[in-house]
Parts: sequence; C-alpha cells; structure tokens
Amino acid sequence: MSIVWVHEDAITLNHPVFWTAGPAVQPIFIWDTEEHDRRAYSLKRRVFIYECAHDLDIPIYAGRPCEILPVLAAGETIYTAGTPNLYVLDVVADLRKSHDVTVVDAPQLAHIPANTDTGRFFRFWNRAKKSALTHSSENQIETATAP
Amino acid sequence: MVSLLDSLPPGLAKPCALKRLEKSGRDKVVSRVKDISPGLADSDVIISEIRGGRKAADQCLAHLNPAKYGSTRNHLDGAVTRLSPYIRHGVVNITDVRDTALDISSAKDSEKFIQQLSWREYWQRLYKEFPRNIWQDVEPYKTGFSPDDYQDNLPRDIAEGRTGIASIDGFIDELLTTGYIHNHARLYLAGYVCHWRRIKWQAGAAWFLTHLLDGDPASNNLSWQWVASTFSHKPYYFNLENIAKFSGDTVDTRIETNRPLAGTYEELYARLFPNLEPKK
Repeated sequence: MSIVWVHEDAITLNHPVFWTAGPAVQPIFIWDTEEHDRRAYSLKRRVFIYECAHDLDIPIYAGRPCEILPVLAAGETIYTAGTPNLYVLDVVADLRKSHDVTVVDAPQLAHIPANTDTGRFFRFWNRAKKSALTHSSENQIETATAP
Repeated sequence: MVSLLDSLPPGLAKPCALKRLEKSGRDKVVSRVKDISPGLADSDVIISEIRGGRKAADQCLAHLNPAKYGSTRNHLDGAVTRLSPYIRHGVVNITDVRDTALDISSAKDSEKFIQQLSWREYWQRLYKEFPRNIWQDVEPYKTGFSPDDYQDNLPRDIAEGRTGIASIDGFIDELLTTGYIHNHARLYLAGYVCHWRRIKWQAGAAWFLTHLLDGDPASNNLSWQWVASTFSHKPYYFNLENIAKFSGDTVDTRIETNRPLAGTYEELYARLFPNLEPKK
C-alpha cells in the first residue's frame, strides 16, 4: 500500500502530493523525537506540531522515518511533499535505495525566469511581483490542478 | 484514502501508531508530547496559547485585512496576521493565503502583505539552492569585525531574558512564553544580540529556532544574516526612539531602564562599529 509521508513542513491533506498519489494511499505522520532533540525544539514547539498533526486525524507513529516508512510501504511507492529541509531530503535519499519515492512540490507564489539574479530580495521581487500579485485562478502559469 | 495498514513483508515488525487522543483536552496533548519526547528537559514546561491545526489557522485567516496590514505592519500592535506558524508548517498553503488576500482587497492594497509572503518564498528558494549552507555566512560581515570577534554561544542572561534592558527583556519574555513575536521585535532582538553583544548570528538563530512556532532554517537564519550584515550591505541596528515609535504603550521604553539602546543613530553607530568610518 502506498504511503504519503506527512512531514513537519506540510502538515496538511490539502497538498498536490495527494492529487498525484490518488485516493488509495495512507497518509501518516511520524513523530521523530530524536530529530526534535537535535533541533532543540522547546515543548511549546512540539505541542504546536503535534496539534497540527493530530488535527488531520491520520495515524501518528513515533520513531525514525527511515525505519518506519519502508516497513509500512512494503515496497510500494512512498509520496511526500517537496521541501528544502535537509532532514527530509536525507530521509528521501535513504528511502530511494529501496523504494520508489515521489516528491511533489506545492505551487509557488511567484514565477520568475530561471536565470534571475536573486542575490538580494528586491531583485527577486521586481521579477516576481506581477505573478505574486495575481490570483491563482487567473495565473496562467500555474500548472497544479485539482483531481 | 484507505484507513489501515495490513500487508507487511514477512519478518518485519509492524510499527504501531500511537493511540488517538480525544479531540478535546489540551492537557492530554501536552502529556502525550512529554511522553513521546524523553529528551525534553524537565524544566521546559511552557505551552503557548497559540494552538496548532487548520481551525486555528482559519481563525487567523478570517481576521486578515491586507490593506490595514500594509499601513500598520511595522507597529508591534499592528494588524499582523499571526499566520506564520501555520504557513511554516504547511497547514495553510502560501498561495491560498495570497488568494484569500486578493479576494478581500485589490492587488494594490494587498501588495505589502503579499510582498511579505514573498520574503518567505525568497528565503525558501535560496535554501533549496544551497541546503547544506544554511548555517554558513553568505558574505563577510560589514561591521568592521571578523567572525572571530564574535562570541560563539548565547549568554544565559539573554537566553533567560535577564539582560537588564527592559524592552529587550520584554521581547525575550514574549518569545519564551508564546513562541511568537512581531517581526520588528525579532529585528530588535537580533540587532541587540549581534551588535550590542557581538555574538555570532548562528547562536541567536538557533535560540529562535528553539522557541519560535514559525521557526524554519531559511527565513530565520537568512533574516539573522540580514541583520548581522552577512547577507546585506550593512548591519541592521536601531535605537530606543525607534522602539518607542513602533511599540506605543506596549513596551517599557523609558531611558532609565534601556540606557544601552539610547542615543542618536550616529552615536550608536560609532559605539557599535568603531572600526568603520563615522556615520555622517
């Protein structure tokens, strides 16, 4: 059975990863206390994250994603939301040794040419402003579509 | 979506999901979190009043007023949204927030708000480009000092909000008790840590990530670098008059309780950055 790994950067069921994965998937959240310890998250941060995950009414497992996800996926595809978070990137790289892993990015706020100089924010903003100020329903470049 | 996991390769132990808690009862959530966080210090007992989950995010979205945000956002009591913890954890998507703003107000009236959303996207893009460099200086300091001139660790008086500077201690108390402070207060704290105390931005950034509910390495670390001057043209600093201007009656800005912050910009510049040319 395919799994959607809901990680701490996308604690939602309203993400394009679910449109890609289709209906026959099991979303799960993994409480990785070792990672929280490594990041020195305070109790209030942990409570907030737990409340976000609990609110989704999906199974929450405690442990390391690299140990839990392969067992639950049992060879099937693992899906997850894209993020620059190194922790997630490292887990995905490890999972890919044994599983097919599909990473799906959320739509971006702004669309800019690939060669844009982003050395300072306002250089980025000057190129991003037009698309950033356009509603998704009017933004022709937006490609993500609901099922 | 299906509801249960039942097929496993032979020989593998099936991980067990945690037993679901009742919807009501925050005490149970806190107790659960403590149970599954054995590495947490016993002394860490503070819970924020800010709650996680979509319902709480929607309550913030319901109060969104992009035009008012644009005109008051720099004030500590301005019409900020407090959506950042939910955006940071993906509870709400940044494009949905943008679309909600545009449903409420015109593009012109929403511009400052959407520009602030764009800062987050900007930081995320940089993080994606250089994920393993997020704790490194992007550029040299422009303060007249080298990295070796800065302390590595955050002193206890800062970590505990006992600096003796009333406004700074007030901001720290809010950070420690709520896990959220206004962006302007973040700049004041970061400026104080980097320039008044000459501590490496990395120490301050790590401290914020411990406490801020919206803390993420990209926005947090690169904003600290913007203040420190390792990702900007000049260091960010402030004076007591500036805090008073933007805090109204919400912060103790008396001179007698905030002496290290008092002075003109020229005086503070000379004091904080003695190796640089005097500010005209």
